[in-house]
Amino acid sequence: MGRREQSGSERRLSPPLASLVRPFTCVLASVASATLSGALGRPVSVEVHVSNGLPGFTIVGLPDAAVREARDRVRAAVLSSGLAWPLRRVTVNLAPSGVRKGGAGLDLPIAVGLLVATGELPPGCTEGLAFCGELGLNGSLRHVPGMIALADATAPLGLVVPLGDVREAALVSGEEVRGAATLRDLTQALRGQAGWPEPPPSSAAPAAAGLSDLADVRGQALGRRALEVAAAGRHHLLMIGPPGSGKTMLAERLAGLLPPLTAEEALAVTRIHSAAGCALPEGALLDRPPFRAPHHQASIVSLVGGGSWSLRPGEVSLATNGILFLDELGEFPVAALEALRQPLEEGVIRVSRAGGTVTFPAAFLLVAAMNPCPCGEGVYEGSCRCSVATRARYRRRISAPLLDRFDLVVPLSRPDPDELLSGTPGEPSHLVARRVAAARVAATARSDEREFAPDAAELLASKLRAGGLSARGLQKVTRVARTVAALADAEVVSFAHASEALSLRAGRAVVAA
Amino acid sequence: MSAEATSDLPPEAYAAALASMPSIGPARLRRLLAADPPRLAYTRANEGSDNAVAAVQRAWRRQTELGIQVVLAGQPSYPARLADDPQAPAVLFCLGDPAVLSERPTAALVGTRAPTRYGIGVAAQFGADLAAAGVSVVSGLALGIDGAAHEGACGAGAPPIAVVAGGLDHVYPRRHERLWERVASTGVIVSESPAGVPTEKWRFPVRNRLLAALSDVIVVVESRHLGGSRHTVDAAMDRGVPVGAVPGSIRSATSEGTNALLADGAFPACCSGDVLLALALGGAAVTVPPQTAAGRPGPATMVAGDPAPDPGRDRPVYDALSADPAPLDELVRLTGLDLAELCGGLERLAQAGLARDAGGWWERT
Repeated sequence: MGRREQSGSERRLSPPLASLVRPFTCVLASVASATLSGALGRPVSVEVHVSNGLPGFTIVGLPDAAVREARDRVRAAVLSSGLAWPLRRVTVNLAPSGVRKGGAGLDLPIAVGLLVATGELPPGCTEGLAFCGELGLNGSLRHVPGMIALADATAPLGLVVPLGDVREAALVSGEEVRGAATLRDLTQALRGQAGWPEPPPSSAAPAAAGLSDLADVRGQALGRRALEVAAAGRHHLLMIGPPGSGKTMLAERLAGLLPPLTAEEALAVTRIHSAAGCALPEGALLDRPPFRAPHHQASIVSLVGGGSWSLRPGEVSLATNGILFLDELGEFPVAALEALRQPLEEGVIRVSRAGGTVTFPAAFLLVAAMNPCPCGEGVYEGSCRCSVATRARYRRRISAPLLDRFDLVVPLSRPDPDELLSGTPGEPSHLVARRVAAARVAATARSDEREFAPDAAELLASKLRAGGLSARGLQKVTRVARTVAALADAEVVSFAHASEALSLRAGRAVVAA
Repeated sequence: MSAEATSDLPPEAYAAALASMPSIGPARLRRLLAADPPRLAYTRANEGSDNAVAAVQRAWRRQTELGIQVVLAGQPSYPARLADDPQAPAVLFCLGDPAVLSERPTAALVGTRAPTRYGIGVAAQFGADLAAAGVSVVSGLALGIDGAAHEGACGAGAPPIAVVAGGLDHVYPRRHERLWERVASTGVIVSESPAGVPTEKWRFPVRNRLLAALSDVIVVVESRHLGGSRHTVDAAMDRGVPVGAVPGSIRSATSEGTNALLADGAFPACCSGDVLLALALGGAAVTVPPQTAAGRPGPATMVAGDPAPDPGRDRPVYDALSADPAPLDELVRLTGLDLAELCGGLERLAQAGLARDAGGWWERT
């Protein structure tokens, strides 16, 4: 790859014979690049063949519509940059030819290969380099999604990308990334007439400014506590409450309680966001846990990922290492909710289509909110106006296996008006986040499980015997109780910790049929 | 069809076939059967129809296969309570013993299909107490209050009476299948609809009318404003049947209807004794077994009998609780405890039988 081959027959023939042959009958150039498949890059070798014949431009090797349209973009960009366009027959092959290629990122390697083949660029100048980028008609280089995955695929070659993508590609390729703003800048740099342009300096990273703070939440002792426990123990959380009980407000504040991502996690998150074409922050690296809140009318494909063959990551993958918030859980299509069961179980999602199977990461913290019944008043006994059949139908939408995935099911109630108006602000997020971080450290340090105090164990055993707790429920309560104890920095799980863990899943009674 | 084949069919078969005809409602049926004997009435109603006799056989087989008894107005087993009723059904379909309908004093317990646990508890307790005192409990077998009343009454003493809207071959609601069987085996299930007739909406008010006509007293346990119990109450007032209501919290939507009834002059049913008094059975004549009274203390006896509970160190938590369930957020605010301490206190109170978890909300027992 990255080799430039000139199989011009005049080179091989002896001088007297060469003079009999017209020059440049047949020139071949090969340039390294990559294309995106799912969240992974695949190396692609772009071969450009220029030969005598009727002027024409053909692209072969399973190009998609965007790649086929590269013909017109490349021609316009080359001419706009003041470079020569060959009035000869041009054939571009994208190898390996069995793999479908998509996106406009192959514009740049096609143009570079063509310029090498026509002699605008010196042979050998693309040695050790790969190219990815879209071309504008005026010769500018434009952003392509999935730059991290593309950089993965082209390593260990140096990578030439649009100037704005340098920072993103450099997350994996380090120093070996060069950028250019236009095709003209690029040709000059490749000819050695000018240096590679420097990427624009990044402005100071905005410090977690957009995050809402828990101090805004008045009252809601149970809801606040549920967030804290969910963040500390990575417990999936379902909030059930009437309209106006602050479910959405609470969920939005959970992201602020999670510790920042480790370098490894951040790269995984950034990679998947990059592949999905999401806008990345200034410094290119996403270092805060993502918060994804798809609407309940989102299609199944947009949730779990997929597409005909381009296999784009879905919301569950974009939420990996972060939070997936499903507001109005009862309104999501049942099939979409059931599709969540594999990622909840395994932390990954496999998307299989005719075009292939891709495994995306999907290790998210699931936070969901729902009304207890269609009228919303079901938590208040006797005030619900739904018919028995309506309530039963609503409850059936949340299947028992899905409900079982939630360690925490909390019933929320509307806050007390006095507390709402005059109450003191709640504990701010940074204090809670500190406790969460400490509990997480303690939990990892103490890989052996915390012991239960005798009365706490007896409490759970009595619930199990009375039938108020299933075997799986017992396991969940045990986990939650350990998290509660870790938050309190206690050596053993006390009666109070176990009681709290029970209360944190008491909402099951509201939705369990 | 030959004459011999049809001659052995009893008049009940023709009455059942007539009632099964989709064009004939209770009022028309009453008119037709008052004018002619069943066989003639059926023949007249089916003039020109070829398979009329086959329909009679089919209708009759349906009733007999399930052991449904068909009782015609005027027959000895027809309940005396309905004899003078202006809208008395011409034909009654019974699963169980029809004699139960006339044997004993009857009291209807009715109410909403979506009750609170308070309503369920009261209905079950009244059902059990009245049955034990020798009163047949009448109800509609619907979800909620109706079902709870029969759950309490089944096997507690006097045989229960259920009045349903659809045909007796079709258990409605499905959820009450077992209760249905218990009522049929210990008491009687009555309907104006022959087997094979689906439970249609318009049949419920008709059912409520029959329910009122079969009862000596009616108690609404819990009802929303303008709830379905209204039909029963209206029918009862038309017939001069005393109506009682169980008082409820002014904050509970399910007590709106009952409290409004009390304001309109219904007698307050604060314990099962009040219902017995309304039946003119009086306090002395009532034989409520003492263990029932002690085991399920009515609201009237609760205050006097029990010694003050001792919640020990969880006194602050206990004091914050009331008979109305409260969310944890409110208890945190009232006690000032943190969530773990509060939950621990609540679980201890629950173990001591002083508090109860109601779907994440807590209340005193």
